[in-house]
Amino acid sequence: MANLNGAVYGLTILSPIIDDKTAVPSHDLQIREYLASLPTGEDSPFAIAPGTHLARLVVMDDVIYVGMPACEEHLKSKYLVFESNLDGSLESYLVGLAQSVPQHLDAIWSHCVGYPGSTPIPAFIQYMKACQLETTFFFAAVNDKSVTQTLRALQTQRAVADFIADHQGMKPEQLQIEFARFVELLKSEPAPRPGATTIARTMTTGGHNE
Amino acid sequence: MSNINGKVYAMNAITPMKPWKTWILRAFFEILSEVKPLQADLINLSFIEFARWVVLPREHFPFLGHPQKKEELRYDYLLFFSNFNGTWNQYIDAFSAVLSNGLNLIWRWSEKFPGSVPVTLFKEYIARVQFDTDYYYTAYPQAAANDVKSAHIVQAAFDNLAQQSPNLNPQQFAAAYLQFVIQVQSHLGETSEAPVVF
Repeated sequence: MANLNGAVYGLTILSPIIDDKTAVPSHDLQIREYLASLPTGEDSPFAIAPGTHLARLVVMDDVIYVGMPACEEHLKSKYLVFESNLDGSLESYLVGLAQSVPQHLDAIWSHCVGYPGSTPIPAFIQYMKACQLETTFFFAAVNDKSVTQTLRALQTQRAVADFIADHQGMKPEQLQIEFARFVELLKSEPAPRPGATTIARTMTTGGHNE
Repeated sequence: MSNINGKVYAMNAITPMKPWKTWILRAFFEILSEVKPLQADLINLSFIEFARWVVLPREHFPFLGHPQKKEELRYDYLLFFSNFNGTWNQYIDAFSAVLSNGLNLIWRWSEKFPGSVPVTLFKEYIARVQFDTDYYYTAYPQAAANDVKSAHIVQAAFDNLAQQSPNLNPQQFAAAYLQFVIQVQSHLGETSEAPVVF
């Protein structure tokens, strides 16, 4: 199935936006305004709900005319595009979204035709699947690691760099003890939060900023 | 609107295709999926985290009933979504320089596609068929695709050494630790804020 690459699922959803000439502002603009106010860091709904590597929401106004001799044509609806690269199965992902951030889902998708709300969850899943497109070709640079595993690995990478720098030239006995402590310390640290940024360390010697 | 979050750029593009041509494209993607060596350039470019192409037949736009009007289109459409590191210009330049044959096989079925070389016309075409992202999220905004790959290499080596360590005497541990450092040294680096690009 082309929606899957290894353990990563590529979800593509096209939801038709309500075309109501009496709505002011129009429904597509209301979606855009809401999305513009939505946090993109660790308070993002996709950081709060589990399993999203990367995701985007896009209002697609129309298809694009590429010029003569192609024919010019237009869509009858505007569409909300939801593109997500996620861990696990589609159903568990959608359940996670509906349980974790129902208020955001409702604020966004209530402007779309036929949206039943985030509850009851089976109706929500059925709606999302009705709007889903099958991916024809899906590429993932890393396709066998979950979001948590990747965040952990990035944390380890940073910590290992510090450990190596701080323990150069140490005697083997002491180094082994220090390494065992370091392993326990890393294990006890919580995984970084999705969408979070870390504080940059000051570079004192070398590097590209000198 | 933001096409950028941290070190990742979200690109969306849509191009029209005559319906009879979409079957050829589907066959090409089928081959690309099955024959992994054909993906080597895409993998080796190493600045694409995730990318997808979706062939959308003209009668398969989601239709949910009243009050939505059913689409009546002459063309099928090719949707392209990419998550890449770097700037738009770097991305298109690299695509054109490294993947021109592959790109031509994908987009030559789209109307008015000028070919990926020369790059000027290619960029004009991409700019025309691209549409902007309204909301973009990434779980690891400070990491590029190479950072993620390197981090997993470091993690695997670290887990291996951590598992071995209790069973080694100090001299054996020192040797294993040296091997570990050699193994990971080119995969250590700072993941931090993205550089400001113009």
